[in-house]
Amino acid sequence: MSSHLQITHLRKRFGGLVAVKDVSFDVADGEVVGLLGPNGSGKTTVLNMISGALLPTAGEITLRGVRISRLRPDRIARHGVARTFQLVRPLPSLTVAENVLVSLAFGRFKHWGPDARDLAEEKLAFVGLGGRGGENVANLTYIDQKRMELARALASEPALLLLDEWLAGLTPSELQIGIDLVRRLQSAGMSVLLVEHIMDAVRALCARCVVMNAGEIIAHGPTETVLKDPGVVAAYLGDGHA
Amino acid sequence: MLIDTLITGLVAGGTYALVAMGLTIQFGISRIMNLAHGDTIIAACFASFVLFSVFGLSPILALMIVVPVGYVLSDAVYRIIMRPLVARAPNAGALEVDSILVTFGLLFVIQGVLLVAFGGNYTGYAFLNTPVDLFGTIVAANRLLALLLALVFGITLIFVLSRTRWGMTLRAVSIAPENAPLVGIDINRAARTAFALGGALAATAGVVVSMYQTFTATIGVIFTMKALIVVILGGKGSLTGALIGGLLLGLVETFVAAYIDPGLTLAATYAIFLLLLILRPTGFFGQAG
Amino acid sequence: MNTTVAFILAAAALAGLAIAPLFLNAYGIGLLVGMTGYVVLASAWAMFSGPTRYVSLATVAFFGIGAYTVAVLSETLPYPLVLLCACAIGLTVALIVGLSTLRLAGIYFVIFTFGLAELIRQLVTWYEVNVTGTLGRYIFLPFEGIHIYWQLLALAAATLLLSWWINRSRLGLALRAVGDDEVVAAHAGINVSRAKLMLFALSATIITLVGAIQAPRWVYVEPAIVFNPTISFLTLIMALLGGATRLWGPALGAIPLFLLFEWLSANFPNYFSIILGVFFIGIVFFLPQGVLAKIEGLRRPARKAPPENKERSGAA
Repeated sequence: MSSHLQITHLRKRFGGLVAVKDVSFDVADGEVVGLLGPNGSGKTTVLNMISGALLPTAGEITLRGVRISRLRPDRIARHGVARTFQLVRPLPSLTVAENVLVSLAFGRFKHWGPDARDLAEEKLAFVGLGGRGGENVANLTYIDQKRMELARALASEPALLLLDEWLAGLTPSELQIGIDLVRRLQSAGMSVLLVEHIMDAVRALCARCVVMNAGEIIAHGPTETVLKDPGVVAAYLGDGHA
Repeated sequence: MLIDTLITGLVAGGTYALVAMGLTIQFGISRIMNLAHGDTIIAACFASFVLFSVFGLSPILALMIVVPVGYVLSDAVYRIIMRPLVARAPNAGALEVDSILVTFGLLFVIQGVLLVAFGGNYTGYAFLNTPVDLFGTIVAANRLLALLLALVFGITLIFVLSRTRWGMTLRAVSIAPENAPLVGIDINRAARTAFALGGALAATAGVVVSMYQTFTATIGVIFTMKALIVVILGGKGSLTGALIGGLLLGLVETFVAAYIDPGLTLAATYAIFLLLLILRPTGFFGQAG
Repeated sequence: MNTTVAFILAAAALAGLAIAPLFLNAYGIGLLVGMTGYVVLASAWAMFSGPTRYVSLATVAFFGIGAYTVAVLSETLPYPLVLLCACAIGLTVALIVGLSTLRLAGIYFVIFTFGLAELIRQLVTWYEVNVTGTLGRYIFLPFEGIHIYWQLLALAAATLLLSWWINRSRLGLALRAVGDDEVVAAHAGINVSRAKLMLFALSATIITLVGAIQAPRWVYVEPAIVFNPTISFLTLIMALLGGATRLWGPALGAIPLFLLFEWLSANFPNYFSIILGVFFIGIVFFLPQGVLAKIEGLRRPARKAPPENKERSGAA
């Protein structure tokens, strides 16, 4: 039986550079899995292949048994994959509520009309932006833009949420708010793949981790074990520290 | 017939290459999509026409006046019109749109000035219109000279840009504008230089065109269109691509005109353009993105 | 409630505009025809190019297709069928152009549309010279200026209504999202290519209809007349002046500019092109978002900004 998200022998080549070589792992239903690795290790490339922004050179990705690799990003989104972006990407000519409405209207359940407005408000309230739907996104602070982006991802009612360094760049107090938000998603049963550099957040949120380096998985297993793995320490700190 | 077509095609192609090189430099390095490029060429045509018929100056000598003037005027256009747009554009896409719109306006201004000054009729002058026997085909000497000039200018420019420090600076800006300042390159100056260089090339092309063909104030658009197609064909910012693409376009056009129907040359060009857009949108010599 | 009032006002204005020509002479009606034509062209142009920010320079290609279809078919088919044929041809061309260029970056689309009118003009000329053996056709339709005006007025009303409806629909939201960031739009589940294609085809079909309806004004039609690139240029300026992202923007840009250009071409025919170009450059420089946005921007500072700490909003 296949898992919730199953990635098998995934590979991506850009010209002469192999960014991802033979990566396989899975995410179970309701699980929050961390995807770690130093910069340039291929994490975001993997995320981009899951969400359809990039086509895999080889390998397969299935979500709840349905093959989603090689579909267009909008089809994958409607299959239930939602994501945030490494650098926040708000839609600047839309209001905060409209940003969320986009996902409601075109996500899995295609909400439109007054109930979509209500749902948008509900999602915004969940991330802590209740009552601010009418504002211009350009006026939001950085963390509020991140919140809005999370609300937008949640609005499509995804089966899998991809968070690409969603916690990066937050102050310590904002970070705690962010971790609490993801934890609430976790207790609501959301499956999450979390690309993250902040180890405290990874420890707090993920029972299981996948670590990549130079396009390959170098460690895979329970978070505490993986973070103590000498190979992982070497990859992060350079070989001299191992 | 075949040799004749081949030579006609190469002459036209040489001109297209020259025209496209100016545009590709402006687009690749300055990030300005200049829709008034063809009209700059026609302005240079008229300038060498005036120099020839009023002052009796041969087009070869005219090059020495018209080309520097083209450089200086384009430099001024960049400072006055383009620079503020570059400064206010939040990203490359916005600058592309703004530059297209503003040069679309410039197109009408240049065309309007030429219409007021010279009227709407076909103009031309006879220079070196002596027949030359080449492989058994009679060709006008001015056409051969045009081809020769186009190749000399084109190859010199490719050489200069690929071998000199100055050329490397310009290419660095074309490839990675965000990193160029890190190695001490003044992007703004590079962009202005490239735009002015493109203008100088347009002026060169104008003088060359005027030597062997007639022109009107309103045909600049046609040159712009062909140059755009060559730029896409050769890849944004690639001079070698523009040279080869230009020659190719000239040959295709002439062969379609000679063997299929002269009324279908533009359709043939467009067919190539469309096919290319669909199959290889980065051009034959361009980098992705 | 507000919407109802706006609709009643718009209906009253429409009724007023519909009876206006009864009090005007032929010259006045001619002005109304031209003006309404450009209101539709600019509004239809902005319907696609406003939200998506794809600059289309192909207006006259579709306008010309409409006009030429009428010229070719008006003798053989009843008028409504002729209009239908024009729509079908315009739609087909729009779908071909859109399918091949809209997947790519906007710049390729601009370049392609830039030459499209010239391409179609040459193809039509080639066809006429080689296949039918004639260049230039007469249109004998029993229409006076006022009939053309009424048709255009109805089309203008329909176009604005359609724009209003699209703005409020899912499609409108999709287009604005696409215009802001195609990647985000696609990841939110929007079929980006389809949304762009639908709107481009719709906009092009309306533009084709304008050409078809206005064709009888010329009586004599040849490719060089109906594929005049100035039409694309004027449409673009008008929409930009008024503001391409607003419902009324293009119409508000079209009316004063049309009158201005009429006056200019009557009084300074030789300098028309120069003035036009300078004017256009000025608009791009000083009113990049259009007059309506400018007016709103002037008003906005009066309103209070939200009392949020904004020190980090620049980080995005």
